[in-house]
Amino acid sequence: MTALAAQLERWRQQSGAVRIQPAAQAVIAPLASGSAAIELDHLRRLLGLRLRSTASQTAVDGDLPGSELAPGLRYVERHLDLGPADAVLYTDIAGFEHIDPPRLLHFDTETTGLSGGTGTRAFMIGVADWRDDRLRIRQLYLATMAAESAMLETFASWLRPEHILVSYNGRCYDAPLLATRYRLARMHNPLAALRHLDLLFPVRRRYRGVWENCRLATIERQLLGVLREDDLPGSEAPRAWRSYLTRGDARDLRRVLAHNDQDVISLAQLLRRLAIAAP
Amino acid sequence: MSAIQSELTLSDRGLPRMQGADAAQLGAALQRKYAERITGHSVQPARSADYRPLPESLPAALRRALQARGINQLYSHQAEAWDAVGRGADVVVVTPTASGKSLCYTLPVVASAMTQSTRALYLFPTKALAQDQVTELLELNRAGDLGLRAHTFDGDTPGDARQAIRLHGTVVVSNPDMLHQGILPHHTKWAQFFENLRYIVIDEIHSYRGVFGSHLVNVLRRLRRVCAFYGSTPQFILCSATIGNPKAHAEALIEREVTAITRSGAPHGERHVLLWNPPVCNPDLGLRASARSQSNRIARLAVRAGLKTLVFAQSRLMVEVLTKYLKDVFDHDPRKPARIRAYRGGYLPGERRAAERAMRSGEVDAVVSTSALELGVDIGSLDVVVLNGYPGSIAATWQRFGRAGRRQQPALGILVASSDPLDQYLIRHPEFFSGAAPEHARLHADQPLILLDHIRCAAFELPFHDGDGFGSDAIDPFLQVLAESGVLHHEGTRWEWIADSYPANAVSLRSVADGNFVVVDRSEGRQTIIAEVDYSAAALTLYEGAIHMIQAQPYQVERLDWEGRKAFVTRTHVDYYTDAIDYSRLKVLAQFEGCVAGAGSALHGEVHVVRRVSGYKKIRYYSHENIGYGPVNLPDQELHTTAIWWQLPQSVLDAGFSSRQDALDGFLGAAYALHLVATVAVMAEARDLQKSVGSADGAWFAAADGRGRGQLRAIDGGLADPRDVPGFIPTVYLYDNYPGGVGLSDPLWRRQGELVVQARALIEGCACRAGCPACVGPILAADEAALDTPRALALRVLNLLFVP
Ligand SMILES: [Zn+2]
Repeated sequence: MTALAAQLERWRQQSGAVRIQPAAQAVIAPLASGSAAIELDHLRRLLGLRLRSTASQTAVDGDLPGSELAPGLRYVERHLDLGPADAVLYTDIAGFEHIDPPRLLHFDTETTGLSGGTGTRAFMIGVADWRDDRLRIRQLYLATMAAESAMLETFASWLRPEHILVSYNGRCYDAPLLATRYRLARMHNPLAALRHLDLLFPVRRRYRGVWENCRLATIERQLLGVLREDDLPGSEAPRAWRSYLTRGDARDLRRVLAHNDQDVISLAQLLRRLAIAAP
Repeated sequence: MSAIQSELTLSDRGLPRMQGADAAQLGAALQRKYAERITGHSVQPARSADYRPLPESLPAALRRALQARGINQLYSHQAEAWDAVGRGADVVVVTPTASGKSLCYTLPVVASAMTQSTRALYLFPTKALAQDQVTELLELNRAGDLGLRAHTFDGDTPGDARQAIRLHGTVVVSNPDMLHQGILPHHTKWAQFFENLRYIVIDEIHSYRGVFGSHLVNVLRRLRRVCAFYGSTPQFILCSATIGNPKAHAEALIEREVTAITRSGAPHGERHVLLWNPPVCNPDLGLRASARSQSNRIARLAVRAGLKTLVFAQSRLMVEVLTKYLKDVFDHDPRKPARIRAYRGGYLPGERRAAERAMRSGEVDAVVSTSALELGVDIGSLDVVVLNGYPGSIAATWQRFGRAGRRQQPALGILVASSDPLDQYLIRHPEFFSGAAPEHARLHADQPLILLDHIRCAAFELPFHDGDGFGSDAIDPFLQVLAESGVLHHEGTRWEWIADSYPANAVSLRSVADGNFVVVDRSEGRQTIIAEVDYSAAALTLYEGAIHMIQAQPYQVERLDWEGRKAFVTRTHVDYYTDAIDYSRLKVLAQFEGCVAGAGSALHGEVHVVRRVSGYKKIRYYSHENIGYGPVNLPDQELHTTAIWWQLPQSVLDAGFSSRQDALDGFLGAAYALHLVATVAVMAEARDLQKSVGSADGAWFAAADGRGRGQLRAIDGGLADPRDVPGFIPTVYLYDNYPGGVGLSDPLWRRQGELVVQARALIEGCACRAGCPACVGPILAADEAALDTPRALALRVLNLLFVP
């Protein structure tokens, strides 16, 4: 920060320097207060930043669903009756010709951004699996950034070697993103060893050109008849989470929870629809 | 008229038939015939090689590979580098072009890769150099079956190859931009690479100066942060062309102590250098024949003599113009392969490769190039290098001269001065080129905006903690500003990235604003991208109506989509080229310091600059006459930077000058001279330091009109009369042409008194009577007879600012 410090020093010295009456009127008088304040002000001026007016302190709706598993780590669980689980699923997906449903772990993450790279993280992980003929939906999400490693640890503790991950575009998006997060947390990546069934590929193979696109929302509407109400688009999730983090406003974060919940349910139903009758 | 004349004054007549002559003989003949144009001549004697045996500690397979490639001993600097790196030192090797410097890093990198499976990252400033380096490594690898995997990793690397390179590349050859935008922000994918990273090689470090260099320091800070995360502390091996402060520059780049190896053991042939000033063609106005006409003729003589010739020009436009002139002579038969080629940035990679191949194979006799060729791109042996204009630094001058003489034969380098005042100043002071160390490379890594950009990128890569340094100091204020703008979140002691963006994409290491312009050819219904142009050059070269030359083929810009960064062009057959007219105005925002300067004052502070391209001139080929103007309508470019400036109170001006117009002319002439000596004083690139004359409150600014007289313009650009301006206080500014300033105004401020003295001496020592392009700027014949000549007026201003 030498440049800024030097600048500060110049301002200090100026009182002792020869005082010139400037020809222009547009000379901004240097500040004489605390050093940090001057540096900050100088930086702000350089950046053309205006201090954002502190938000009006009206009460915000900061109500977070679920319970606290660890400081800042929230947990939501529910069970859903979707009719009895199949004993075994047969598919034409290579490597997954017959699947034992209790081994399936449907998952989906919500992330702080879509641009990828080390600065993008998952702030929510939703998981659905079959338990006693019902679909169990578990969601982990962060109320603080520090809770990330607790979330990664908890998610890892749910995974067993016999699990098959089920996702929609997870091979290219969610799994590499989590791999990065585990790496940054200096933890072993528990996903690497598991089989992973990404439904995007079979869906594309089967339905490309049939509907306008292969986004999960389109597929679930066309194939499963799911119509989401008050759905917060996935692209809005980063903003929703930041509003909670910086302003404590949880309204949209709750809509992200609902969206993620529907995503993992749709995954489970989609896989059933893709299954074929026993050969 | 005068220009046409000058084309004719330098003819082949009177020169001995040069067919089959060597470069030294050509140099001697030119000296005999044009003695009055040559302001300096120097000869570097030939030097024989200083050899050392191959080191004992070299792995046997590597030794065999070297021997298979015909390398049975090392030059002394290669052996010294091997020893120093072996001791664990960070090293900079400073040797001339073609001295085998790459072996200085290849040996330790390959030896360590073979014995300890370590990995290395090479950074080159251009993709072309990276390509060459990989080729060289792979040849060595094949010669000894060493099991090396060397790959380039840059924007051209296909997606499906990237994973394999990350996982298995022994040597990854990339560039700072790719490291910054493609590697560091994805460092987790490179985890194994960083864990085993032992050497970082940075070649051509002299090219990392100014803004680019300041960015690189910060990219390296980020690189070291990431390495520390993976538990590695790689060693640096740096290479540089000859500059005045290689050790200090290397240390400024990597912020660690560095061992410098500066004595080359490589042999070279005799090297002749001529400094060439075009003849005066109008002594009254101090006008000289154009450098272009002289360079063109010298290149013709050299090619006729059978000498392989390289002509460096300062701009892409000049490359195209000179190429056309030479092609008109040597390439008029389209059935024969071209003997003349242009080479510059902005061509597509394939086209560039083809040009390089043609040059290496020797089928081309002359190449006309921009600085794109300055950096060791291998184009084979050359005899003669002609510099059409001073390249902006002594180091670049020597490096370009160094392209000639690779065969240990005599080489000839000729610097042809342009009418640019800096050229004229330097060409008359040959001492700048002899003996004196080339200038110092300058960095300003803690320039607040650059620093802020990289702190943002670094925070994306790994979170910061309270009290963390980046470089040396605590950076909490930067983190706080980033938190205020919503990209970081402070929680506990950590500053975490929370924005939904990829910050490296918004930061270009090479220019102020990101976004190259593409040039789209729409001739005959096509839609082909034929070139790319830097953002910084776009306003000056891609305005609607501009003639844009590509391989000497003129295209006219029909439409410029500024937001979309596209220029649409069609092929044309006009006989002119175009040149932009631009001006700037300044407003003082804050003053840091001030002091009395003679009867006036000198100040130092922050300014706001608005630059505008207002129109363009059409200039006919060969005659260079101005055949018309066109208007340009582009957004203003704004800049917030630092400057120094001088001003005189109105009472002093009223007493010292018979009219305000005279005072204004005096300030314009003084600005011209001050800018000239300041550029040399801080060894700035001319474009990094700019001058302006205007009112300190930004109410008006002045520019020389076509006749060399000051014109006063209001903020809207309209003409104003100096007599009507309230509070007439002209001010001459020298400003740093980079947002926030890149460290030029500080040293200028410290030397402000000296600059006035030097500017005065420059004008007083000039041979002209009334003023000329070498002192106060071009003047009009009518001013010759004036009582108060522009020269006298400028001297009067400087005398009033002079502190005895
Ligand atoms: Zn002069």
